[in-house]
Parts: sequence; C-alpha cells; structure tokens
Amino acid sequence: MIRLLGVELHQLVRSRRTWVTILLIDLLPTIVAVLLKLTDIGPRPGTGPAFLSAVLTDGTLFPLAAMAIVLPLFLPIAVAIQAGDAIAGEAEQGTLRYLLVRPVGRTRLLVAKLVSVIAFVLLTLAVVAVTAYVVGVLLLGTQRVAGATTTVSGTPLTQGELVTRTFLALAYALLCMLGVAAIALFLSTVVDTPLAAAMGTMAVLVGSTLLLTLDAADSIAAFLPTRYWLAFVDLFRDPILWRDVVRGTLLQGAYVLVFLGAGWANFATKDITR
Amino acid sequence: MRPAHRWTAVAVGTALLVGIPLAVRARPAEDSGISAVDLLAKVEAGADHPYSGYVESLGTLQLPTADRFTDVGQLFGERTRMRVWWRSADAWRVDKLLTTGEQDLVHNAQGTTRWRYEQHDATLSRDPSIRLPRTADLVPPAVAKLLLDDVDASEVRRLPARRVAGVDAPGLRLQPAAPQSSIDHVDVWADPRSGVALRVEVVAKGATRPAFTTAFRQFDARTPPPSRTEFEPPAGAEYRFDDVLDIADAANQYAPILPPDVVAGLAESPQADGAVGVYGSGVTRLLAVPMRGREAGPLREQLLRTLGVRTVDSGTLVTLGPLGVLLTGTEGEGGWLIAGTVTPDTLTRAADDLFANTVYVSTR
Repeated sequence: MIRLLGVELHQLVRSRRTWVTILLIDLLPTIVAVLLKLTDIGPRPGTGPAFLSAVLTDGTLFPLAAMAIVLPLFLPIAVAIQAGDAIAGEAEQGTLRYLLVRPVGRTRLLVAKLVSVIAFVLLTLAVVAVTAYVVGVLLLGTQRVAGATTTVSGTPLTQGELVTRTFLALAYALLCMLGVAAIALFLSTVVDTPLAAAMGTMAVLVGSTLLLTLDAADSIAAFLPTRYWLAFVDLFRDPILWRDVVRGTLLQGAYVLVFLGAGWANFATKDITR
Repeated sequence: MRPAHRWTAVAVGTALLVGIPLAVRARPAEDSGISAVDLLAKVEAGADHPYSGYVESLGTLQLPTADRFTDVGQLFGERTRMRVWWRSADAWRVDKLLTTGEQDLVHNAQGTTRWRYEQHDATLSRDPSIRLPRTADLVPPAVAKLLLDDVDASEVRRLPARRVAGVDAPGLRLQPAAPQSSIDHVDVWADPRSGVALRVEVVAKGATRPAFTTAFRQFDARTPPPSRTEFEPPAGAEYRFDDVLDIADAANQYAPILPPDVVAGLAESPQADGAVGVYGSGVTRLLAVPMRGREAGPLREQLLRTLGVRTVDSGTLVTLGPLGVLLTGTEGEGGWLIAGTVTPDTLTRAADDLFANTVYVSTR
C-alpha cells in the first residue's frame, strides 16, 4: 500500500499538469492583489469575496481573501478534474487493466487515488496561501497597530490567533474539497472518460449552488454539498461561531463516506475492459 | 463480499446518515400544559430576561428600496442571520452576520455603537425614541414584546408545543380583535422556564404562510458576560458620533409640526414626542413620518414601481402582506409617509386626519 501511495504521489508531483493547474489557480488572487494595489479600490460592501475589503489595510489577511476567491469555483473545478481523472483517466488511456494485473487491490487503488487528490488539494492550498501572504504583505502592506488584526466582530486578534484560525480555515477548505473529490472519484468509477466525471461533478456543484439561492429549497439546503463552504468566515468572528463549521464538517464527512462507499462498491464490482 | 452486499452496505450507511438527523428532528415536542393566559403572562414577564443565541429571521415583504429605506427593505424582505447577547435593555449586542463580514449594534451606557467590518468604521449614536427598525428589533423577544403589547387575554389561545433551538416551547396564538389590523394572527413559542420568546410568526389577513418569521436556532437563557456588551473601536477604524440616526429621527427632531393625538381611531403612543406620529399598540400600529419633497420624490418613484401599487385620492398606496404603506401628495411634493400593520382603509383615514389636524409650529 505504501509503495502504491508513493507511486501515486510521485506521479502527482512529477506531472506537468499538476503544476500548471496550481499556477493557474494561484494566478487569479495574484492578479486581484496587483489590481488592488494599483487602483486602491476595494469591493462595495457585501459584494466581493470575504476579507477583500480588509486586505487594503492589512495584507496579512490576503491568504484568507485568496481562499475566498478560489474556493467557490476555481478550486472545485481543479479538484473535479483531478479526481475525475483518477480511475476514468486510467481507463481512457487503457492502463487500468494493466494496473490491476499487478497485485494491487481495487480498494487500495481507490484509497491511493483519494490520497493523491488530498495531496493535490493540500499542495494547491499551501501554494495559494504562501503566495497570497507574500504578495499581500509586499503589495498591500500591514498597517496594523500594536501587532493586532481585527476580527470581523471588531475585536483584536493576535498574530498567534490569526495563524491558528487561518490554519483551521485551510483545514476546513481541505475538507470541503474532499467532499468534491469523493463525488468526482465515484463518477470516475462509473464513466470511462475523465471529462464526463469532472463535468458530472461540476453539474452537482452548480446545481447545489443554484438551489441555495431559492427560498423554496430551504428544506433541503442543509443537505446540499456547497451549503457550508463559506462557513470558514465564521472562524474569524468573536467568539468563533462553530455552528455552521461543525455542520459543514459533518456534511462533508457524510458526502465523503457515501460517495467513497459508492465508488468502492462500484469499482470493486466493475468489469474492467480497458 | 458479493456485489449486492457491497451496495446494501452503502445503501444502509446512507439511510442511517440521512435518517438519524431527520428522526431526531421529527421527535414531537413535550407540552407543559400551561394555559394561554399564563403563557402570555410568562412571556410578558420574560421580556427583560437575559439570553444569548443565534437567530435567523425571514421576511417576504418586497419593500421599495429607496435610498434611505434600503436597510429596512432588507430586514423585512430577506433572510437575516444574527447573534445576540442580551444582558438587559441597557446592555445588549446584536451582530448581523454576513458572508463578507458583520454589521453589529452594541448598546451600553455610552449609547449604541454600530460597527461595520467592511467599511472599517464605528458610529456611536444616542437611542432616540422614534427611529426606523434595525436588526436588534428582529430578535424573537423584541418582536414578541412589540406585538404582544397591550393584548387582551381574550385574543390569545394555546398552540401545540414545538421544538425551537432544542427547547420544547409551548405556543401561543394572538388573533387581534381590532378592525384596523391587517394581521390575521401572530404565533409565538416561548421558553417555558424563562418566558423568553423563541419563535414568532406573523401571518397577514388572507394569507396562509407567514409574512415574517424570526426564530432562535441556538438559545441560552443564562446572562451573557459583561464583556460581550463592551465595544472598543479597533485601532485604525474610523470612529464618529451621529446625532441623527435615520430619516425618522431627523424628521422627529427637526420638522416644524405636531401631528394629532388620534388618527383613524388609533391613539398616539406615549413614545411619540416630536413631529413623527406613532399610533396604536400591539399588532395594530402605524407610523406617520413627515417628508420633504426631495426625500418623498425617490420613495414615491419606488412605490410607483412596486407590484400592486394604487393611486388614491390622498397619495400612493402599496400593500405588502400585512404592511400597508401610503405616501401622500403627488410628484414634486412632500408628504406624509404612513406605514403600519393596518388596513388600506385605515391608512387613508389616517392621512385625512393628519391633513386636517396637524399643527404647524414656528421653530423646533
């Protein structure tokens, strides 16, 4: 199993596509930072991504703003493509059959593919966060007084608290993307092309986002996969509002369990022809 | 493991994950058996009981979004998420939660401070007796206090208990007897121990669904710590003092008029102390705000674009669920903005009384 994981992670890190994808995701918040620096125009209240108005006076918050920029669309697309490619990509290339000829269990292969996707999300989040911090501090500066940032509730936040909460937010974002990966991985075991798996996953996410805008869909809102994605903002209130963060964690956990289970049931049973 | 077993395991796991939370929610609430009159007394007595929690309100009224009334339109036409800490009427905090930040109200001995995260500013103001509604007015105990004011015991009856924020809350239905009221009924569910209202629904005459709902999703009847109602403006934030809170406060302070003591059969409230008239009590209330031409113009334009608008002899009339709005006068003129939970006929009668009996004073 360790060897299989090593192979998958090695492939991930060596793949040019991995780095091009991360670069493209990283590019958007960087462009935003440059534009903010050049124009000094923040978003109108209530319109832009979370924390974007605050970064004009405190560049250290830019990793959070960057996360709010990439989390709703760019990161899920990348995860859907990456996870959708996991099994269907091997099938499309005709390598899945040969891969399974080796003494590799299907369940182990599925787990290895999931770990590889988790590593991809971790790598992407780390690159985005570090780039955003450097770009934020260099371009937007830190005009904080007495070393304290301000919570959204208007109370001071020490550097230590800011770092802890930022890591919590990144962990939460990772979990949300794990839910996306589980759906894509399941679809990847169902269809034979990675594109179909990625598009299917995006259809689920777009449908969920659309339903969340309707009051009529209130009764099912708590079960929709994107319902609590932006709850990481609640980690920066005072005191922290855990309600939606906990619900989001449980919901994503349920999606991971159900779709990984379905992926396992399907993949372990499936006739591999290619 | 055979394929069928694998799929069965997945199906059972999914059913448990979905079913358990639904089953927990569907458990019937236990009713304490308290009478309607006793519950009403309990809720009235619990009006000043401390509490804290997380509240969601949902309004369905598509109010005009004229410049100075945008906030009010959002309060009664959208979903509002709030956190509240209530120590007493003199020390409370209500945070309006947004995905992009917060807009908070902190009330203490200094006055009421409004903090806006995205604007990075804090504004201290006094607390005028006459003002437009704000987030702090949307929490269930505040709504219940306003609507159950001056209620006769014959107007209330018991509703089955309902689980609200984890509390088995006995319910109360108020059906107003006043013919001027546009509200069919108000349902209130309260904490049986503290008497704090936990959920309030307002249903207009002729409607089946609530026009406005506010409910705790998390509730704690313990007194919040004093630190929750203190506010120190963050370093670097813009901090200022506003002596005029909103358009109603401005008109009340500076308009050189005095409205009559009674309009449309509704007596003026003791809280009215200036140019703005507040009439009626409980669920049958109306507010009359004198407006200058430059303020009335944009509002009239918005009202004329509102679905179901009517032009009557006294002005422009709109009915939105239980809320009636009448702006007197025509294009280019000032007028009275008369709004309240009263029938259209009551609004036009109020306009006639205001025209006939308003007293103009030389200075204010």
